[in-house]
Amino acid sequence: MGSAASHSARLPPPPPPPAFDAATPPKPQEEAGKPAAEEKVDYMNLPCPVPYEEVQREAFMSLKAEVFEGMRLDYTKMLNQSFGLTHSVSMGAVEIPAQGSDVIKIPHGTYEFGANFLDPKLVLIGRLSQDGRVNARVKCDLTENLALKINAQMTSEPGYSQGMFNFDYKGKDYRSQFQVGNNEFYGANYIQSVTKHLSLGTEAFWVGQQRKSGVGLVARYDTKNFVATGQIATTGMVALSYVQKVSDKVSLASDFMYNQMSKDVTATFGYDYMLRQCRLRGKLDTNGVVSALLEERLAPGVTLLLSAEIDHWKKDYKFGYGVGIGE
Amino acid sequence: MASRPSLKPKPKGGKGGKKGSSAADEESTSATAVRLVKEWTTWTMKTTKVVAHYGFIPLIIVVGMNSEPKPSIAQLLSPF
Repeated sequence: MGSAASHSARLPPPPPPPAFDAATPPKPQEEAGKPAAEEKVDYMNLPCPVPYEEVQREAFMSLKAEVFEGMRLDYTKMLNQSFGLTHSVSMGAVEIPAQGSDVIKIPHGTYEFGANFLDPKLVLIGRLSQDGRVNARVKCDLTENLALKINAQMTSEPGYSQGMFNFDYKGKDYRSQFQVGNNEFYGANYIQSVTKHLSLGTEAFWVGQQRKSGVGLVARYDTKNFVATGQIATTGMVALSYVQKVSDKVSLASDFMYNQMSKDVTATFGYDYMLRQCRLRGKLDTNGVVSALLEERLAPGVTLLLSAEIDHWKKDYKFGYGVGIGE
Repeated sequence: MASRPSLKPKPKGGKGGKKGSSAADEESTSATAVRLVKEWTTWTMKTTKVVAHYGFIPLIIVVGMNSEPKPSIAQLLSPF
């Protein structure tokens, strides 16, 4: 992997085009020749890998759907191609951790005002909730290859705010990231395309206040039909996932997570149906949790959300419905 | 005028006191420099956090209202 990185740094110049006589005839010849030549992989021109935090993106999209409880109303108003305001009302219940297997819920209503500015080079997303908490996300492309991401949650109570600065550098077939956060959190990660389908990555982090540090490795193998990832870290976490794209509209996902510190093992199986008017995601867990989320587009600009989560072991039932207005 | 004579003895008294008390510690000026830097960075972090807390959403609104095509204030405030 180290030699691959140095090779990509000293890239040889691309070979000159075969013939300048006529522009069109060489092209079909080249394209006809390409499928035969495709077996020989050009290791100097590998695609750029997926960012490190999105290595398990397909599995998360299918399996970590945002189920909610209660009523939800989201209104999005776009003032401009890139600027929009959102209002979000949610009335539901919040769980308090209780001793034993009882689940205690208290009713909780929130209103959140949001502003989004989406530009190719600058993305600003802010959410302000009724208890004074501000959630801020900034993504700024400083140069073509270097991006700065800031993620912060600020509260009125002192000492509970969190912030994280990420500097991302995108190379030809690698990506590297450096993170600085509050509570003296420093992290760095690096991911490299090794073959056309396989990319390997590593990360390290250090928390100053708790004097904890960790190292992790990740591997991702993706083809047109499936994506398999594996992740292992010195915090005692092993996570494997496999997503199979059965067709354009259906994909099935499975996930296995093992935490050595808390001796917690969880396997999840899920499905994701992406149909024309709706998107249905459901999953089944070895913790006895069955959940599903339906997003249906009733009319252009009106979306219906139905969510259900049943935890058979804890006898915790959560059902929610919501409406989204606006794009 | 009355404040000046009272101000002058204070720094002298402070420095003299520090030098006198930290006669064994030769790095008194660098120690004070480090302490001042720490105080200034703490103050900067606290101020940045307050500025970001109150100013982030207005910043997004200002940036958005100045982007092309410019929306009007009526569009910003009306519910539809």
